[in-house]
Formats: sequence, C-alpha cells, structure tokens
Amino acid sequence: MSTAVTTVVSNVVRKGPKLGRKQIFLPNFTLTLLRTPALPPTFATFIVPLNLNKLDIRDYLWNVYDVRVNSVRSYIQLQKMRQDKAGAKRPAQRRWHRPRSIKRMTVEMERPFVWPEEPRDYEKWDKETHDAAEADRDQGEEGLRPDARRKASKERESMAEQAKQLLRQTEDAEWENVGGLVEVEQDVPYQI
Amino acid sequence: MSASNALRLAFRRLVNAGNSSQIPPSFLIPSLLASKTQTQTTSFSSTSTYSIQRRDNNPDRGVSTQRRTGPREPLSVSKTELPKPVPDPSKRSKAKVDPDHGLWEFFHSRDKTMNTPDEDAEYGRPWSVDELRSKSWEDLHSLWWMCCKERNRIQTERYERDRLSAGYGDFESLEREKTVRRTQRAIKHALTERYYSWRDALEVAKDDPEINLSGKGPLYTPFEYTEEDTTGEDTMVPEITDGAEVEQPRQNAPGS
Repeated sequence: MSTAVTTVVSNVVRKGPKLGRKQIFLPNFTLTLLRTPALPPTFATFIVPLNLNKLDIRDYLWNVYDVRVNSVRSYIQLQKMRQDKAGAKRPAQRRWHRPRSIKRMTVEMERPFVWPEEPRDYEKWDKETHDAAEADRDQGEEGLRPDARRKASKERESMAEQAKQLLRQTEDAEWENVGGLVEVEQDVPYQI
Repeated sequence: MSASNALRLAFRRLVNAGNSSQIPPSFLIPSLLASKTQTQTTSFSSTSTYSIQRRDNNPDRGVSTQRRTGPREPLSVSKTELPKPVPDPSKRSKAKVDPDHGLWEFFHSRDKTMNTPDEDAEYGRPWSVDELRSKSWEDLHSLWWMCCKERNRIQTERYERDRLSAGYGDFESLEREKTVRRTQRAIKHALTERYYSWRDALEVAKDDPEINLSGKGPLYTPFEYTEEDTTGEDTMVPEITDGAEVEQPRQNAPGS
C-alpha cells in the first residue's frame, strides 16, 4: 500500500512508521469515522471492512490521511439473528439470517482530534416532517401486523372512554325538583 | 553492650559508695542495674519482626515490560497529585486540534458534522470513459483516491445522520455516492480498455520486424525512410482524434 499511495499524497518527505510493502492500487472499501466522545481525543474509531487488519489501517491512515497511528485495537461485533435478509419486503418466517458482523478499529493517534459540534436545530434536514412521516408510516404498519385484529382499535378505545364519561356524568348529575307526579295521559279513561 | 556498661557503672557506684560508708543493701543491686532512661516496652504484636528490611530486588517493579512506561496507578510515593474528575462536560478542558489534522478530511466542512441535504445535492456529473481515456495512469490513480476519500466522507456523514436521526438527506447522499462510484467504474473501464489494447499491440509487435522483443538490443529500430512506404502510408493513415482536445468536465471531481 505504501508506495502506491505516496504518489498521490504530496511529495514532501515524511518520516513515517515502519510501513508494509503490500501495494494496493485501487481499493474499493470505505472507512466510517465514528463519534466517540467517551474516548480521549487522541483516539479515533472506524468501521472497517472485515478483511482489513491492524497493519493495513495503520498504513492506510498514514498514506492517505497523513495520520500517524501509535496503536490499534480491533473488535468484531456479531450481529443479532433475524428473520430473512434485511432487504426482504415481506420477511419470510423461520428463514433465519445473521447479518454480517461489524468490525470496529480504534486507533491511538499522535495528535488529538475532536469532532465538530452537533447541529443545534435540524430545520435544514426538515426533521419535523421526517419524524411525522415516520410516525404515520409506523401507524399504518401496525394495522398490517398479524395480531392487529386482536388489539382494540383506537376508535373503540375512544368510544369506551366517552361512554365511561357519560356514565360518570349521569351519576354525578344533580336532579332538579320539578314538582309532584303528573299524569301524562289524562285523556285516556282509567280502567281496571 | 549497654547491659555490661550499666553493670560496670553500678559496680563503680558501689565501690565509691563503700568509701563513704553508704553501701546500699545487696538486695537493691538489681534496681541499680536498671538505668534511669530504660523503660519496659512490649511490642504490639507477638509475632517476631524481621531484623532485616525486606527488599524487592526488581528495579523495574511496576514498569511495563513492553513499553517501559511507569505503573498504571500512581503509587503512594508518587509526588504528583491525583487529578480530580470534572462531572460537567462543558467545564472540561478542550483538546487543541491542529487545523491540518488528517481526520478533517472525513468531513465536508469543519463547522458541522454533516452536510445538509441541499449541500449534498450540489455535485456535478461523473467522469465519462471518453474523458478518462486520454488521462495518464497517475491522473487516474489520484482521481480514484479522491473518490475513495469522498466515499469515506459520505459514509461517515450518513452514519452520523442516522445516529442523530437528523431527518432527510439519505437520498441525496446516496445519489452523490452513486455519482462517485460511476466515476470509479469509468476509471476501471478506461484501464481495462488500455490493458486490452496493450495486449493486442503486443501480439502485433511479435510479427513486426521493427520491434525487437527479445530483450537484447534496442526495442524499436525504425527502418530507413523510403519513398514507396510514405506514399502507401499517406493513404492508409486514419484520422485520429486527439485525446487532449476533449473538453474537461466543468465540475470534475464530485464534491469540489
């Protein structure tokens, strides 16, 4: 990797660590830098492909990003089992699938680096609309679940509540005295 | 030593006292033997104490064998005081980040962690194979690495957007990455074409009398200029469009 990349980076002579001699000309992978506020500023964590090793990331960061790395630690995180693959539209039951593991590497750098601050408002990302649309979609999906029929619908819940309120009102209502008994059907002859 | 001294003193006193006819009775001799400063003491513990101080003969006690650094925890003999924890993160001292730190290249801008969807949507078109055919290997190689860095940037910001659940922007970043990948595909396409043409040229060169592939002597020895050949070549030479004339894309690298 070393000689291949040095042609790209500036011609300034930099004294680097003892680098590997494996040449990689057209790599086709990505590194994801993660925000790690719990770690000291000299540490940086990356999500890396599973086949990348500690020596590779040290050389990569030195040659591509001019970052001197003192030490590397790595961790492969096994993913949870799930039904069917992640892209499946209607996940098949009992077709078990384990997503690919995630490899994280934490490097200790010579110079500290701190992430820029998080944005304070997300208006430019239109968060309100996004969240409202997501909530609406979740609500719509609830009706498609297998146990959706067994659950009381929202209308039913609200009707029950209204009925309870009505009953409570009739119990608590104070009766108004409108006088003695009055025969309503006065024109009908009373016969036994 | 001290006991024998005291004994000698006591005898001297006795002898001196005898001169002055004031001899103490003989049963007081033990009390005279005990010196005035001596007090009876008993040790707190009944276990016997070591007369010699126990010593650890390892001079590197507590020092890392691999890195030669000191013990992890400050010992009771350390002069430096323990740092006090600051529970409020805003009051903690901030690390000074160099403006030329390499990890800045994982972000599109320095003031925020990720691009807005509008900023992400501002990108050009991918490089076409036609434009890349005329480029040198060095150009193509550096363009490939530009694409790699841009993809790292996009990936980092996408992860951050998901983590913050910031809102929209996934579509824009995906489209942006698609453009970068198309450029990468074009680079590979151009290089593959170049390889095939080189291989074909090698086949042709084997039968060419002007080219010597044996490795001894000069590779290319042009024949003497003759009139017959030139008349033939003039009609045969096809028109070759010069690669340098191809117009450069206005927004060459995505993200620029």
